[in-house]
Amino acid sequence: MTTTASDPIRAYIVSEFLAGEDAEDLTDDFDLIESTVVNSLGLVRLISWISETYRIPVDDIPLEPAAYRTLADIRRFVEQAAPASV
Amino acid sequence: MAAEKDTDTYGVTAPYGDELNDDVARWDRAGEFPREKWKPLQRSGLFTLPFAPEYGGAGRTLTETMSALEGLGHTSRDAGLNFSASTQIVSVGIPLQAFGSEELRSRYLPRVTSGEAITAHAITEPSHGSDVMNIRTTAVREGDEYVIDGGKMFITNAPVADLFLLYVRTGKPGAFGLSTFLAERSTPGLKIGEPLETMGLRTSPISEVTLENVRLPAANRLGSEGAGFLIMDYVMKREVLFSFAVNLGEMTHRLGRVLEHATTRQQFGSAIGKNQAVSHKIADMRIAVETARKWLYDTGRKVEQGTDASLDVAATKIVVSEANQLTARHAIQIFGARGYLTDTGIERELRNATSGSIYSGTNEIQRNCIAALMGL
Repeated sequence: MTTTASDPIRAYIVSEFLAGEDAEDLTDDFDLIESTVVNSLGLVRLISWISETYRIPVDDIPLEPAAYRTLADIRRFVEQAAPASV
Repeated sequence: MAAEKDTDTYGVTAPYGDELNDDVARWDRAGEFPREKWKPLQRSGLFTLPFAPEYGGAGRTLTETMSALEGLGHTSRDAGLNFSASTQIVSVGIPLQAFGSEELRSRYLPRVTSGEAITAHAITEPSHGSDVMNIRTTAVREGDEYVIDGGKMFITNAPVADLFLLYVRTGKPGAFGLSTFLAERSTPGLKIGEPLETMGLRTSPISEVTLENVRLPAANRLGSEGAGFLIMDYVMKREVLFSFAVNLGEMTHRLGRVLEHATTRQQFGSAIGKNQAVSHKIADMRIAVETARKWLYDTGRKVEQGTDASLDVAATKIVVSEANQLTARHAIQIFGARGYLTDTGIERELRNATSGSIYSGTNEIQRNCIAALMGL
């Protein structure tokens, strides 16, 4: 299991949307949208954070919730859009 | 007080104090935008600060720009003009620089950074104030154009603006159906209403904007279709930091003025500040000012670093606007009848401060946001 120190995306989601939970309990395939852990406003914050943290232009960011459904989905997108940052 | 006052941007408007403060009461009574005072603001370089040098900007950071706006609030007693100046920086220039195409940036940013083009952003609608998720103004794509229909309300700077950033719906309901377009004042179908009479900030003109069959090139869209809410999120954070940094300067000036009055005004053989009923109010003003300062610059640094500061921005907006109102009420009480008279300018400050808990998302909405961010 990755630690939050080496996994900033996991650290962000746990600190902002799952406060008080153990980061290691968030599995890579946990559905953040279906579970309503991340709602529409949360999605705006998440996308803004990804855009600013990884310097990804807003034009290159998918706006469909499906792209952010799981930690694995988010990591896959960020690795493609900003490979040097991850 | 705090270190931010020592930054070299704090005093950029200070040399223009006499021009900015000329006849403030008359302009306020008339409820007119003091266009002649725009020129000293242009000369000061205030509008250039957070923009890249290739567009005529000074390349300063967000917190350096906040410091300059705090300095403006301390220098200028015209809170309406100050608010319009803050709007000038944040409404079009900031999103254009961050999200606009190179073509749009090179065509429009130099006019914005010089202050030659006055700017406004149109978010609020007649039936939807703070409920921005339900924006109803629509933009329908037709070939290489979008056709925009709808209306906007309470748009700061609209009566005098040359450039508008329009937040409209291009798609499904909710956050990701919004898009953002740049429009010139002369665009056919874009109609500006008469200036609305207001209680405070009377020199900052606001009006309705009607959009009827407004045709804009698709190239005037900022960011991708559906990215409007992300742009708004980016802009609103900076709007709160910039416009309330102005309030911080205004409060600091007010505190200094009250302190001077309390130490010189004699009643019953001693300065009125020797009475606890007065001195405790001044102590509360100092606490409010310094709390506002800490929230503003702590949050500014977080936003500058790219940290998610959603809760901090909402809290900052509440803390500073309520500090502004408290210090204005205390100032009137300490100045007594003189504060109640219009010629001292103290009552004007209370009228101006009232607006802060309403614009940029009411304080009630900000508390809703904080509660939601806490999982409530």
